[in-house]
Amino acid sequence: MKVLAVALVLLSTSAAWAAGTSMYEKGSFGKIDIDLSNRTSLQRGAKYFVNYCLSCHPAKHSRYKRVADDLGISEDLMKNNMIFTEQKFGDLMTVAMKREDAMDWFLGIDPPDLSTHVRAIGPQAVYEFLKTFYIDETRPFGVNNLHLPNTAMPHVLFNLQGSQRAVFHGEADENGREHPVFDRFEMEHPGVLSEEEYEQVVVDTVNFLAYLSEPAQLVRKKIGIGVLFFLAVLGTLSYFLKKNYWMDIH
Amino acid sequence: MSEQAGGLLGWIDARFPLSKMWRDHFAEYYAPKNFNFWYFFGSLALLVLVIQILSGIFLTMHYKPDAELAFASVEHIMRDVNWGWLIRYMHSTGASFFFIVVYLHMFRGLMYGSFKNPRELIWIFGMLIYVALMAEAFMGYLLPWGNMSYWGAQVIINLFNTIPYIGEAISEWIRGDFVISDATLNRFFSLHVIAMPLALLALVIGHILALHEVGSNNPDGVEIKKTKDANGIPVDGVPFHPYYTVKDIFGAVVFLAIFSVVVFFIPDMYGYFLEHANFDPANTLNTPEHIAPIWYFTPFYTVLRAIPDPFGGFVGMVLAIVVLFFLPWIDRNPIKSIRYRSVLFKINLLVFAITFIILGYLGLNAVTPLYSQLALRFTELYFLFFVVLWTYSRPHGAMFWISSFVILLGAITLYDVFMNTSEYPELIWKTWIIPAAFLVVTLLLPLFPGLGQEKEEPARVTS
Repeated sequence: MKVLAVALVLLSTSAAWAAGTSMYEKGSFGKIDIDLSNRTSLQRGAKYFVNYCLSCHPAKHSRYKRVADDLGISEDLMKNNMIFTEQKFGDLMTVAMKREDAMDWFLGIDPPDLSTHVRAIGPQAVYEFLKTFYIDETRPFGVNNLHLPNTAMPHVLFNLQGSQRAVFHGEADENGREHPVFDRFEMEHPGVLSEEEYEQVVVDTVNFLAYLSEPAQLVRKKIGIGVLFFLAVLGTLSYFLKKNYWMDIH
Repeated sequence: MSEQAGGLLGWIDARFPLSKMWRDHFAEYYAPKNFNFWYFFGSLALLVLVIQILSGIFLTMHYKPDAELAFASVEHIMRDVNWGWLIRYMHSTGASFFFIVVYLHMFRGLMYGSFKNPRELIWIFGMLIYVALMAEAFMGYLLPWGNMSYWGAQVIINLFNTIPYIGEAISEWIRGDFVISDATLNRFFSLHVIAMPLALLALVIGHILALHEVGSNNPDGVEIKKTKDANGIPVDGVPFHPYYTVKDIFGAVVFLAIFSVVVFFIPDMYGYFLEHANFDPANTLNTPEHIAPIWYFTPFYTVLRAIPDPFGGFVGMVLAIVVLFFLPWIDRNPIKSIRYRSVLFKINLLVFAITFIILGYLGLNAVTPLYSQLALRFTELYFLFFVVLWTYSRPHGAMFWISSFVILLGAITLYDVFMNTSEYPELIWKTWIIPAAFLVVTLLLPLFPGLGQEKEEPARVTS
């Protein structure tokens, strides 16, 4: 118990330290604008998701069929192009990889489930994460990340984005200790996409993940407007009913 | 409806007091005619209770109380169950709205002295409902088995560890294990879906029966039963049905509109109603960066954190709730309504409301040296409210006010000198001004007669 408690304290303090000493200004890579009404963006995002994310990250609370229905993708299109395993159309979007293997391969980290994790950290975090991979030969996969330093995830989109190097300069904090501050990225090996095209890939992917974290978003606001309209009518009627009953009370 | 109704109703009435109950509690229950805005929250609390029970029944049909399955079953409700997302959001939003409504309902009681003779038992029943509701909400919060559910419950149950000698045994007994686990989830599920709702319903019935026995208070604090007409009907009363049923229907619709805005447009209320970290499943190895209880517990959480000694903090937190039970015997002033009480009483009550909100705010945030001193100061204000309320029970001489002031401020200052653990003396003395100023206003200003002046209570309701 004691060992566990000490480990917990260490974990929580190191997490707080990591969070407290960001190497760059959050939001300086732009803000993601989630647009769930943009169906083509969601469809492209779904394509990138199954191609690049789903081999390691499950979305085990979501079903292929639900995604197909919500995004207007036909059953055949989904089966032939987006389900790469033996899974059925109505199945949950799980991954075949064993969790123990994942832990072995990714420095003891089990790739988080993307059907809920995005709602925990918010789409902006995913957006910055996908844009801030940089070359770091000291890391097992040769890349590091500004948003999530020492991430266990390889840069799976590197052939699209290319490999960039991060330039830092030293800055002293209030205690006089030097720490690196991010300056800029320099593209070393350009990818197959231009900067704008890669930006669109990231936006589409994050847009899709935002949808995936709560599919009800597609309908709940529309229903809410109907409900509020109904309550406005009912409220008006009940107000006059009350007024009428109370006319004789002074 | 006449006593000798024929047909089916007559048949039932001969065997069950259906018409009698209808008359006693609706058609011939006379409520004061001058209820204002604040009097909506009683019926609204009942409405939220119904929402919670109905949505809870449907959630229980799909939820699985098993540490391996619980998180996924909630996501199953959110995605695969028809309208499951709506039922779940109604339930999660309902939990927060329950506390909003109940806090406003309790504040109404404070303003109009609704806890005073002869309504002490209504207040006690109400406080028991409040405590049962906190238990209900706390256990319900564990059920989604998110990471904040898990660690929040871990922290709160570990509070019992601070009790000397028997603390660890108690928290083990509550959990049924050495840590929060499947055993804890199962018993919390059982308590949440059956034990506490039964207790709540019984207490609500007690609350309403006690209310209907003595009759409702009102914004003037006048007993309407004192002025009756020739038929024995209170002159200032109106039958609950139809007058207050139609009025409460309007209130319910307005409430539902606000409720719907949250349910349909901002169901997580920016992380206050559904905490973001709770969208990751419970993880025994990964604590959320900042563990804060859900907002309706944070005022008491701040009291807990304000006192450095762990057991002392636990006792302080419990006392902050227990002291409310004794309100009818703390505020012994015969004047009920705030309308006829002194300016200083109004200031005291206003400061109490602000204090409660600030304590809640502090409890949501991580401790900093400044916040920890503010937590201490507003905890002092929280308890001083009751002391000041007691002193306002009747007129006192100058000696009483001055000596009360000296004793209380002296006690606070002595605490700072000998027991305040802050490493920043400047913060201690700067924040010391908060309770000092409060005591100057509430205990020294009564020396000037105008501010302590109370008004004549009317014999009849005024509007």
